[in-house]
Amino acid sequence: MNASLLLVVLVATPLVGSALTFAASFLGSRLGPLVAESVHVIAISIIAFVCVVLAATVLADNHVFAFGRWLYLDPFAAILVGLIGVVGLLTGIYSLGYLRHDLASGTIGPAKLCSYYGFFDLFLFTMLWTATANNIIMMWVGIEATTLGSAFLVGFYGQRASLEAAWKYVIICTVGVAFGLYGTVLVYAEASAVLPNPGETSLWTVLIDHAASLDPGVMRLAFVFVLVGFGTKAGLFPMHAWLPDAHSEAPSPVSALLSGVLVNCALFVLIRYTAITTAATGPGLPHALLLVLGTLSVAVGSLLIFVQTDLKRLLAYSTTENIGLIVLGFGIGGPLGVAAAILQMINHSITKTLLFCGSGNVLMKYRTRDLRNVRGLTAIAPATGLLLGAGVFALCGVPPFNIFVSEFMLVSAGLGAGYGWLMVICLLLLTITFAALLRFVGGSLLGPRPKDVAPGDVGTIELVPMLALGALVVMLGIAVPQPVARMVANATSVVLQTTPPAAVARAPWQAGAELAAREK
Amino acid sequence: MTGLQLVNGLASLLIVTSLLVIEAHGVRRSALYYALQSFVLVLIFVALAATVDAPRLFLWAAIAFVTKVVLVPFIMYRTLGGVEDPALAPHRLAFAWSILLGAAVVAICFVVVSTVHLPVAAALKPALAISLAHFFLGLACIVMQRNLLKQVFGYCLMENGSHLTLALMANRAPELVEIGVVTDAIFAVIIMAVIGTMIRSRLQTLDVRQLTSLRG
Repeated sequence: MNASLLLVVLVATPLVGSALTFAASFLGSRLGPLVAESVHVIAISIIAFVCVVLAATVLADNHVFAFGRWLYLDPFAAILVGLIGVVGLLTGIYSLGYLRHDLASGTIGPAKLCSYYGFFDLFLFTMLWTATANNIIMMWVGIEATTLGSAFLVGFYGQRASLEAAWKYVIICTVGVAFGLYGTVLVYAEASAVLPNPGETSLWTVLIDHAASLDPGVMRLAFVFVLVGFGTKAGLFPMHAWLPDAHSEAPSPVSALLSGVLVNCALFVLIRYTAITTAATGPGLPHALLLVLGTLSVAVGSLLIFVQTDLKRLLAYSTTENIGLIVLGFGIGGPLGVAAAILQMINHSITKTLLFCGSGNVLMKYRTRDLRNVRGLTAIAPATGLLLGAGVFALCGVPPFNIFVSEFMLVSAGLGAGYGWLMVICLLLLTITFAALLRFVGGSLLGPRPKDVAPGDVGTIELVPMLALGALVVMLGIAVPQPVARMVANATSVVLQTTPPAAVARAPWQAGAELAAREK
Repeated sequence: MTGLQLVNGLASLLIVTSLLVIEAHGVRRSALYYALQSFVLVLIFVALAATVDAPRLFLWAAIAFVTKVVLVPFIMYRTLGGVEDPALAPHRLAFAWSILLGAAVVAICFVVVSTVHLPVAAALKPALAISLAHFFLGLACIVMQRNLLKQVFGYCLMENGSHLTLALMANRAPELVEIGVVTDAIFAVIIMAVIGTMIRSRLQTLDVRQLTSLRG
């Protein structure tokens, strides 16, 4: 099967899966859930497999087009598609145990379980659509569709708080993303007036090739609209208000999807526009805006993490902080800054997926997210405690876990580019996060075992995906694997529109080992 | 009257109809005024199609008629028509402020649009300014209205504004693009209406200021 056809299969699979799982709800309370789970597992397995094959194809220097060049996969898109595939598979498997627990406890009924998998697969479809879109207007359609596909997942439990979160999520994101449409239309209209073939002016690949001929004034205005629009969906300060509510009220595997991949989808589109705007106007305005919003997001995220007593809200504010760091990397620019931002996208996605799955285990064991009532997790559920601990230390930016590598690269890039004071401020803010997370370790992971919580871990089906995520967190922290490093370098070249930089994504000790090998 | 003048004139009618949507008593009246406004939008598409030689806009007009003049108002009228919150009745003073706000927004948008160099829509700058103003009026409706169903109409107004911008500036885009944008808009309205109804039945209120369980 050729790569173009595979790309179409990738986008179509979750849509078909979604339709079939919705239809399964008509099969009755016994057969329905069974069929829905089976279809869901088959769909997420196919998606993950196709993602790996397509990533390998792109890694071999082949950009993939399909559907009359409307679908497109370059190394930057391949990283996002890979993340959707991996996180979709692992959270999809985790969902099986989590939803069965909800079903057994009477929180949901069989029909609701089928609808969960229907919306879950629909959500994957909308994100894959966004990641593979080459047409900028269809990129916008994809981002808007992600809100619509996931709104019922946020309000899944139908409780007061979850409905409130769903309402804020839909209103803030649809309004925010509407600004993105204005930016998109401005770019399209400008390109239609300037470029030779009007039929192709909505294609990103065409726009980036002709970006230098676009009017700088229009592009600056368009970028501001785009930043507000897609920045809202990415959870950047000050448009982040929906994020803590939606992340905390959604079922935990959905929170993992929102935090691990959805915000990356919005960032991906924002960076696609940053590349065009930088080529049209120079880096001045886009990079300045990214630096300002990135720093503010890190600051607000760090400070609000410190005052949280709700585990999932704490993780949600950490997402705002990490998105801020990623945007800061793109704002710093240069091969090291951009590579650091892309590696941080990968590392944050995997770590936060692990942590939100862990928060699901906490909910299943303690029936609360209030950290004042969660004590002695390691004594109650050792595997969950250990995996959550690994995730928390990764989030702290401690070696040998993955986020240390990308944060180290980011700070190095900032210092190298002359943003010394900004890096000092960021490091101080990261110290606040470190302190807040250590408090979580001391207060909730460790400590005496509460008497009213039955000891024993959650089921294997929840722990296996978490083990895989934990392994990735450590693996990417010890040494960035060669294929990942090459993909990050190639994606960096897509963002910067230069030739791929050599060995840019690596842990500090990898650089030392390479130097020692060369001296021998 | 030339075609361009007709487009610009019809565009100004959108502002009048949007004020009616915002200030109407009850969801049913707002839905009817929204249908009227969408019909004006359809007329603009037809006038624009004939004036700037963009035959695709005839199809856009047909799609907009089916979806925005018939389908969305029908959904709003039927599903939300009986959903009221007596505590949220509008008062007369608000209408006067709405008119002032509308005038201010239109003036600002005229200034902004006049400063941007846009060869595609040079002769249609008044309509463009009004489409932008319409978008921000919808935004103001969302921000200022306490009734969450009025917020849904605010989104509808924003969407009509951006749809007109799209027709003025991107009328040569492929049909699939238009279908994608309209599909998103319809589903957004349906999802907002469903969640709004769920909130009404669960929380017994339509007042967004009562949605306060998530803080911090």
